[in-house]
Amino acid sequence: MAATEVSEVVHAPPPSRRRRSRSLSTYLLLSPGVVVLLAFFVAPLYYVFLFSTGQRYQGVTKAAAFINGELTSFSWDRWSELLDSDVTVKALGASPSMPLWVLGLLAVALLAGALRGGRLPRYGRSVMVGSLVVLVVPFLTLPVGSSVARVVEITSENSSITLFFRSVSTSLTVSVVAVLMAFPVAYYLAFCRGKSKYTWLVIVIAPFLTSYLLRVLAFKVILTDDGLVNTALFDSGLRSDGNQVEWLLYTQFTVLLVLLYAWVPFVTLPIFVALENMDRRLLEAATDLGASRLRAFAKITLPIAAPGIVAAFLFVFIPTIGEFVTPQLVGGSKGYLFGSAIADDFGQNSDWQSGAVLALFLMGVVLVLTGATSRFLRATGGGT
Amino acid sequence: MSSPGSTVAVSKNGRRLLTGWFVFFLIFLYLPSVILLIFSFNSGTIPVFPLQSFTTKWYSEAWNDVELRDAFVRSIKVGIGTSVVATALGIITAYPLARRRFRGRNAMTAFALVPLVVPPVVVAVALLMLFRKGPHPIPLSLWTVLAGHVVISLPYCILLLVPRIASIDVRLEEAAQDLGASSFTTFRRVILPLITPAILSSFLIAFVVSIDEYAISSFLAANSVTYPVYLFGQIRQAEHLPPMIPVATVMLVVSFVLVMLAEIIRRRGDRRVGLAP
Repeated sequence: MAATEVSEVVHAPPPSRRRRSRSLSTYLLLSPGVVVLLAFFVAPLYYVFLFSTGQRYQGVTKAAAFINGELTSFSWDRWSELLDSDVTVKALGASPSMPLWVLGLLAVALLAGALRGGRLPRYGRSVMVGSLVVLVVPFLTLPVGSSVARVVEITSENSSITLFFRSVSTSLTVSVVAVLMAFPVAYYLAFCRGKSKYTWLVIVIAPFLTSYLLRVLAFKVILTDDGLVNTALFDSGLRSDGNQVEWLLYTQFTVLLVLLYAWVPFVTLPIFVALENMDRRLLEAATDLGASRLRAFAKITLPIAAPGIVAAFLFVFIPTIGEFVTPQLVGGSKGYLFGSAIADDFGQNSDWQSGAVLALFLMGVVLVLTGATSRFLRATGGGT
Repeated sequence: MSSPGSTVAVSKNGRRLLTGWFVFFLIFLYLPSVILLIFSFNSGTIPVFPLQSFTTKWYSEAWNDVELRDAFVRSIKVGIGTSVVATALGIITAYPLARRRFRGRNAMTAFALVPLVVPPVVVAVALLMLFRKGPHPIPLSLWTVLAGHVVISLPYCILLLVPRIASIDVRLEEAAQDLGASSFTTFRRVILPLITPAILSSFLIAFVVSIDEYAISSFLAANSVTYPVYLFGQIRQAEHLPPMIPVATVMLVVSFVLVMLAEIIRRRGDRRVGLAP
């Protein structure tokens, strides 16, 4: 880059003028994109904010809005309704209650611990691993028949918040399982395949780029009462006719499975990129110095792949946390998620102000998470 | 260490395990599509086993479904509109991001990519509020859907184009300018030909994003439902399922071909600018 600048100065007699016209054209080139984003991205979000604080309402007149129970002037009421509502955390026999914002602060502290804890002069590693475990493990969901088992059950008097935590735990579980499933695939492609690895990578990712709804539809066909799974069970004699496995469709299990299926192809990509860019000589050096394969993997490969793993995790977590299509199609009433609550506020419930608060809350959570981990995204080239 | 198939990274047995997992993974990914393909030719009125006789009636039924065809045409229109607008915006935004050094470059990059990390449902309801209750209410139509689709596909186009533009040798541009070409001529005669493959794949990706988009279309389309919205309405009811399956099959095959095409074009482009595939 430095060389470029030098040559520019040499070739252009009045450097300042050329520089200025270049910077002018730079902003000129950027302006259409900026205008479009301002008009159709920033302005809409500003309107969400106006609605969430009662500065805009659905009613045609102020009186009509007031009768419908809408806020008609600036107030944080809807926000405090959400943030002050009590949340009960049921874990290990105890069930303490606290307002949502306290739980939020706790989560941010844990996030900071997980991301920056490693820099502490003492116990850094334990702080890091500890916060990560406390942050992730409670939400992991294990589908057991038609219901699910969780280490920690978070509920609230406010049903949207209960749904929010259910969404978090669904997305988190899907992301973790997707990473666990995709890592060996990425590893295999990066280390066991020759030139054909890029072709295989495209074959793995291709389903992700085909229609999402159609893949959900395929699962509906497979999981219905007379679907592939149940028929196979009948035919093999594992289940008697008419005694099908009922929890296959319209449960949280279905939502987990379909989301996993939908997103797992894409997860392979960032992990593959991280492994592919790794200097193979490091592994050779490690083995030469007497490290076993396992040790070399744990001490070299895994740390180098970590940014890719985090990026992969986020690539699944961010889109799935607002998911509302899959629950509607395969989740039934048991699979209802936070995204469905937002969609309903703008659909059948027609309560835009509450919906606006939920939408901004969701966006805030996602942006905090992305902001905090953006350096991982950048490391794999996914971000910048 | 030197046993066949064994490297520093994987032992022989590890390799076998990984291969097995890879095969399982591919089956998991592709089995549902194969099942759809099979059922699209099954004569039963509900998609269940055991299979009945071979038929193509669902294909002809889908073909004759006027609503479906209308929805599909709308989707294609919006898809083409989105890919043209998003790619055009992508090119002129990506060029300065890749080439120029200016104040706020990182901020601008982040700004252009933010829609990628905002859940689509949020973008959808936000646009709904602006169009319905904004200072200038705009009736919902395909145009409003288009606006939403451009916003969410622009980041993909920029992500595709920036590295491609950045990988072009700066000296090519300098040479052109030294020989008296204006900035515009340089862009048109040097940059544009070199990034044509990236432009094509950005076009395809924007199209694929738009044609599969449900959240924004469902909130902003009003009566002019696009194909995913129509499909969503149909597959919620079991009796409407069968005619949708052939559509699904055709769409899966078409989008698979498009994706492969985009990849082939992209790789050819890489070779052209002298990168490893």
